[in-house]
Amino acid sequence: MTEPILSLRDIEKRFPGVHALRGVSFDVRPGEVHALLGENGAGKSTLIKIISGVHRPDSGTMTLDGKPVHFSNPNDAQNRGIATIYQELGLYPELIGAENIFMGHAPRRRFGPFSIVDWPEMERRAREILADLNIHDLDVRRKVGTLNVGNRQRVEIAKALSFNARILIMDEPTAALTEADVERLFDIVRLLRERGVGIIYISHRLNEVFELADRVTVLRDGQYVDTMAVKDVAEPELISMMVGRTIDNLFPKMHAEIGEVVLEVRDLKREPHTRGVSFSVRAGEIVGIAGLVGSGRSETAQIVFGTLPAESGEILISGQPVKIRHPAEAVAHGIAYVPEDRGLQGLVRAMTLRENNSMAVLKEVSRSTFIQYGSEKAMALEAIRQLAIRATGPEQIANKLSGGNQQKVVVSKWLASKPKLLIMDEPTRGVDVGAKSEIHRLMSQLAAENGLAVLMISSELPEILGMSDRVLVMREGRIAAEFTRAEATQERIAAAMMSDNGAAPAAAQGAAS
Amino acid sequence: MALQDAPVPVTETRKPLGARVRHLLLSQEGVLFIILVVSVLFLAARTDKFLQASNLLTQGRLMVEVGLVALPMTFIIITGGIDLSVGSILGLTAIMLGVFWNNVGLPLELSVVLALGVATLAGFLNGLFIVRVGVPPLIMTLATLAFYRGLAEGISEGRSVRGYPEWFYRVGQGDFLGLPTQIWFLIIGIIISAVILSRTTFGRTLYAIGNNEVGARFSGLRVDRAKLLIYSFSGLMSGLAGWIFVSRVTTTRSDMGSGLELDVIAAVVLGGTSIFGGTGSITGTVIGMILIQLLKNGLALNGVTADATIIVIGLVLIFSILVNNFIQSRRQVE
Repeated sequence: MTEPILSLRDIEKRFPGVHALRGVSFDVRPGEVHALLGENGAGKSTLIKIISGVHRPDSGTMTLDGKPVHFSNPNDAQNRGIATIYQELGLYPELIGAENIFMGHAPRRRFGPFSIVDWPEMERRAREILADLNIHDLDVRRKVGTLNVGNRQRVEIAKALSFNARILIMDEPTAALTEADVERLFDIVRLLRERGVGIIYISHRLNEVFELADRVTVLRDGQYVDTMAVKDVAEPELISMMVGRTIDNLFPKMHAEIGEVVLEVRDLKREPHTRGVSFSVRAGEIVGIAGLVGSGRSETAQIVFGTLPAESGEILISGQPVKIRHPAEAVAHGIAYVPEDRGLQGLVRAMTLRENNSMAVLKEVSRSTFIQYGSEKAMALEAIRQLAIRATGPEQIANKLSGGNQQKVVVSKWLASKPKLLIMDEPTRGVDVGAKSEIHRLMSQLAAENGLAVLMISSELPEILGMSDRVLVMREGRIAAEFTRAEATQERIAAAMMSDNGAAPAAAQGAAS
Repeated sequence: MALQDAPVPVTETRKPLGARVRHLLLSQEGVLFIILVVSVLFLAARTDKFLQASNLLTQGRLMVEVGLVALPMTFIIITGGIDLSVGSILGLTAIMLGVFWNNVGLPLELSVVLALGVATLAGFLNGLFIVRVGVPPLIMTLATLAFYRGLAEGISEGRSVRGYPEWFYRVGQGDFLGLPTQIWFLIIGIIISAVILSRTTFGRTLYAIGNNEVGARFSGLRVDRAKLLIYSFSGLMSGLAGWIFVSRVTTTRSDMGSGLELDVIAAVVLGGTSIFGGTGSITGTVIGMILIQLLKNGLALNGVTADATIIVIGLVLIFSILVNNFIQSRRQVE
């Protein structure tokens, strides 16, 4: 067995009020993908920040090539060959690819008495690095802001390699990628592994861990749980290690009586993303919308919610035609929308849990425009209890909650509006396994017991298959296929999502049968 | 029910008195209040005249115009916006008042009302362009800073209006219940603004917009309507300040209120309202405006020149922001 490049022993880290890491050990060998798993708040971020030089450990040892090291800042770590690719990409959108790759260490040449940037050389070396990764379709002279997410990420990887990285830390690299981009990313990761780079891979998607990783380390509540070879471990075992309990069924779908049509849309159009969409959702029904990123799923939801008003088409709520030009009007019609981008659209993160929880129903906690702080607080306490939100109390700033708990606040905020129709856009993205299961359970329960109509957009096919009574597949701004729960399979949905290469007719048959 | 399997104990602890006092003193308003008290004591020790009732009342009278405009400015800055046109709206109101009365020949009472209407409309137009066209507030109100001033100068043709009837000066020069009349306007304005900001759904909406406008919109809050209202309110209060100004100085000139926007913004920012939006309070703004006014007066009484006074005010502004940043970073750690 090869010696680890980097090894951490008994790392302790405290922040005021939080014991973030308690005696965590971790190592990376050359040529392996080592997955780091844990619920949000388990300490993964703190650990990688220690490895990448952002934080310093309170105690414990870190050795690089068998020698003790201390990183005083991220540059230090980078110069020693440790590169990090964060969730929020750290690129300059207004600069071209090559500049981003060589930011801070651009090749230089003499120009009289000056040393100036050697542009041709920089572009040549940028192309060389990319070619090395089998990337030949990326123009290093284009501004990074004009590249798609997949290409931006490739620029970031190239940037890491320009520092001769021997350890690459990838924090949720697939969170914003399309299926095709995910495949290419995996190819790149495998290529780097063959070349002896040690890769630390953080993801909530267990299937990725099984597909890619050699070893997996699980953290829970800042504590080291175990490190195992991926081939020796099964999914349920990993989940129970992460959450500390067994979750027998990830998607507890309950049987629901399907009632009257709550939402019907006819030929909704808003170019370029929505080109004539018609469907309906009934009380008690969960309708899943699958589709690639850019297929018009979120835009359709936002048309119904009024954030992107329709150019043409009809919306009917309980059979009555309505005009929705603003979210406030949607709320008045009993529509709630748990948006895709939790941090930007879902929450006002700088404000408290109490204030976020009541934001969609301010009228209900106020008497003739005066906010009743007592009832607002009671409402927040009730939400904390009902959804088991892990918070210090109603006055906690929303941003200090973990991703899963933030999402629960968004959900509770919208449940407080007592909607007839709940639209959930990527309801469990970036949410840990425990919270995910609870959100699914809640969704199912609301549909079954309260007769809520649910429209769920998701990029995770298991989620679509597990939760939906009916599945709509969107492609290029239109509904490309529709399946009942019984008809829906991963293969059929995936085929309908992709373009017309013979897959669509099969999907259409599925819809017709 | 599985959701209730893991009940989360939520303990409500009331902080001890000492901690609460400490919290209060370490808030932006608390720090500012301490600075205010120290400044007053220092200035009072240097000259007897400073703390005399007549001097303080005069200072109160002089503070009203900045004070009235600082209230809507607090709202606007909390939403992350700015209104640079307030001084020009003040000037425009003053001119319109004179023109309606002197040139058009309307009754003076009606002229005042119409002039306030023009001021509100001027603010509303700012809001309309910001909301509907998406012009950044800084650019929009910078443009109308020039536009409204130009309008005032064009209409007045450089002439001033004088000779208002005696009763008209009562607002700006008279007393009511022992205080300069216009201070009552300010007191009522402060109370209403403070209640709106801290107690109502509208106030909550303003904070939400300042912290995350997209999130506020996605929560179904009426973001556009709120912005239209605060810019219109800003116009109205600038107009009110214009009326009081004319009444105080007994004349109407088109250059009235030049530079008002900077005094107003200084008072608001000194009061702890973040220029990036999201935080701030009327209490802070009130302390900020009082502090600036008393510093100006106290230093002048001590024989400090006007130029040097501005320097001192600038230094106090920087100092208070440094202290505030220090406290904020300490609190982050806690």
